[in-house]
This record gives sequence, structure tokens and C-alpha cells, in this order.
Amino acid sequence: MRPHFDRLYRLAWRLTGAKPEAEDLFQELLIKAFGKLDDLVEIDEPGSWLCRVMYNLFIDEQRRFARRRMHTVEEGQLAGDGLEGLPGADSPLLNNERLEKLQRLDKALAQLSDEHRIVVLLHDTEGYKMIEIQELTGVPVGTVKSRLHRARSRLREILLADGTIS
Amino acid sequence: MQNDDINKQDQEILELLKDYPMPAAAAGFYEQALVRATHEGSRRQRNRWLLTGFGAAVAATIAVWMVGGMLLTSPQPPDAGAAIPGVTIALAEPQTVNLVFASATALDSAILTVSLPDGIELNGFPGQREITWETSLNEGRNLLPLTLVAVKPTGGELLAHLEHDDRDRTFRLRVDVI
Repeated sequence: MRPHFDRLYRLAWRLTGAKPEAEDLFQELLIKAFGKLDDLVEIDEPGSWLCRVMYNLFIDEQRRFARRRMHTVEEGQLAGDGLEGLPGADSPLLNNERLEKLQRLDKALAQLSDEHRIVVLLHDTEGYKMIEIQELTGVPVGTVKSRLHRARSRLREILLADGTIS
Repeated sequence: MQNDDINKQDQEILELLKDYPMPAAAAGFYEQALVRATHEGSRRQRNRWLLTGFGAAVAATIAVWMVGGMLLTSPQPPDAGAAIPGVTIALAEPQTVNLVFASATALDSAILTVSLPDGIELNGFPGQREITWETSLNEGRNLLPLTLVAVKPTGGELLAHLEHDDRDRTFRLRVDVI
């Protein structure tokens, strides 16, 4: 299982959007997988299988893993103040203007439904192919495309309205 | 023109999404998660092992009666004078031994600890000499199947320690290896 940990942790993060929930989801997956080790060695693509199990865990206990809306900076705060609250914001490659835009994106994503947010994050952020999202979620490719289109449209509306894009 | 604008905006959103950050797992998180999963997985699995009833499983395996009409009494050491039940297993061949606990009353949240002698392991759990888990016993017979593997020809004594409230009792099983 170890070689898949980073991929699984990323997926947990993208599904839940917050560290405590991501860690809980990751932990639950390991416990579940631990009881199926005999099955796991016989599976052709254990990484994909583990991702599906994680997704199903998330869906089954969505309330428990409900996304705590991500760390956002209060309105009116100066750029740079509290930016460290944004996950991964310690990257030296991100300047403050970029971080502000990412924070607005974060808020915009929080306004999407889970199914739209997950699709857009998996496809546009994590680089999953449509067919991979179908395999992961069990949602047909046509529906995935439709959700992606709607998610992007909604993001465009929100980010245009707040001036993040023009 | 409008389509060009939308394409440009979508491109900008896409670039933002690609940069949308997330932190790496905290140092040591994977290791801790593995340890917890191992512990929790073992506990859940063994809770399932403690089956109630006295079914067909007994016929297929060795059944060892740990006690007849057990009613937990005040703490007491193993009775050194009593005859110790025993089983013989073959080296390196997993064999299921059914421990039968008979309880006069139902016991919720009892703590059961199995201590294995050196050279005897539970199948699938190499190196673990002591396993503790919480379980409940029904009134009557309760069956605990343990699949043992002898990794050394030495054998020894397996202890099953049952604790409930302030009462406990230890049962002993001699395991010989051929």
C-alpha cells in the first residue's frame, strides 16, 4: 500500500478539503484496507482500488467528512496577513497577488456543490482523466463532463463578480 | 469576441486550479496511520473472532474447554494444581484451536488478552506475542477460534486472560509442537 500513500492522501484532501477530515478519511481507508490485505495482493491495480474504496468511504460518511470550509482570510485583511492559513501557501513560488487569487478561488470552490467541486478538482487540479473519474466515482463520463462544464461556468461567474478574473 | 473572452477566462481559472495548493502530509503521519490501522484492524478482526454459539466449527477443529460454567470471581492467579488442557500442532502448519468460554451470565465489555509463548504465533500476525481486545460474552458457550502457527519447535503455554469489571480469570493452554 505504501507506494500509493501520497496519491491517496491527495485524494483525501481533494474530497474533504480540510486536514482533519483528510487525515480521518485516510486513516479509515487504511483500517478498512488492513482487513482486506489478502484481497489486495490479488488486485491488478491496487492504487485505483484503494482510491475507489476511499471515495466510497467519503460518500458513505459524507456528513462526517463534510468539508470544513477551507481556511480563508477575513474580509479586509491585508494581503499577506493570515495567508499562511491557506493550505500549501508556504510555497516561496507564490506571491501575494497570486495567493489572494487562490484564496478567492478557494471561496468560490466552497460555493460549489460537492459533486461539482470534486469533479473540477480531480480533473483540473489533479489531472484525472474523465474515464478515471468515472472509474473512481461510478458516474458516467457524460455526467462527469456535464458537471465539469457547470462547475467551470459557476466558477467563472463567481470569479468574474469578485474581480479575480476579467 | 465573447467566446474569446470566455476562453481566456477559462484559461485563467484553469491556471489557478492547477496552482490550487494543498499541504503534504505531516511528517510521520503515514507511519502513525499505519500503526493505528494495524492496531485497530487487529482489534476489529479479533472482535469478529469471538463467535457465540457452538456450531459446526467445533467439529472441524480442536476444541479446548477453558472452563465449565464460568462465573468470574474475584481476581485469582492461574490454578497451578489444576490439569492444564493441551493441544499439539505441527511446526509451520497453521492450525485452528477453538477456545470455548462458558459464562454463567452475559458479560459486556470484557477485556480478553491472549499471551502467546515464544515460537507460537497467530496466523497472519507474525511477531505479536500479546493481543488484547474488548469483547462481549453471551450467557452460555462462547467460541474463540485462534489459528496458531508454530515457528519454533519449542511450544509452551498460551494464556487467555479475561477481565470484567474488577474480576478476572486466567486460563492456560499447553501447546506442544511436533
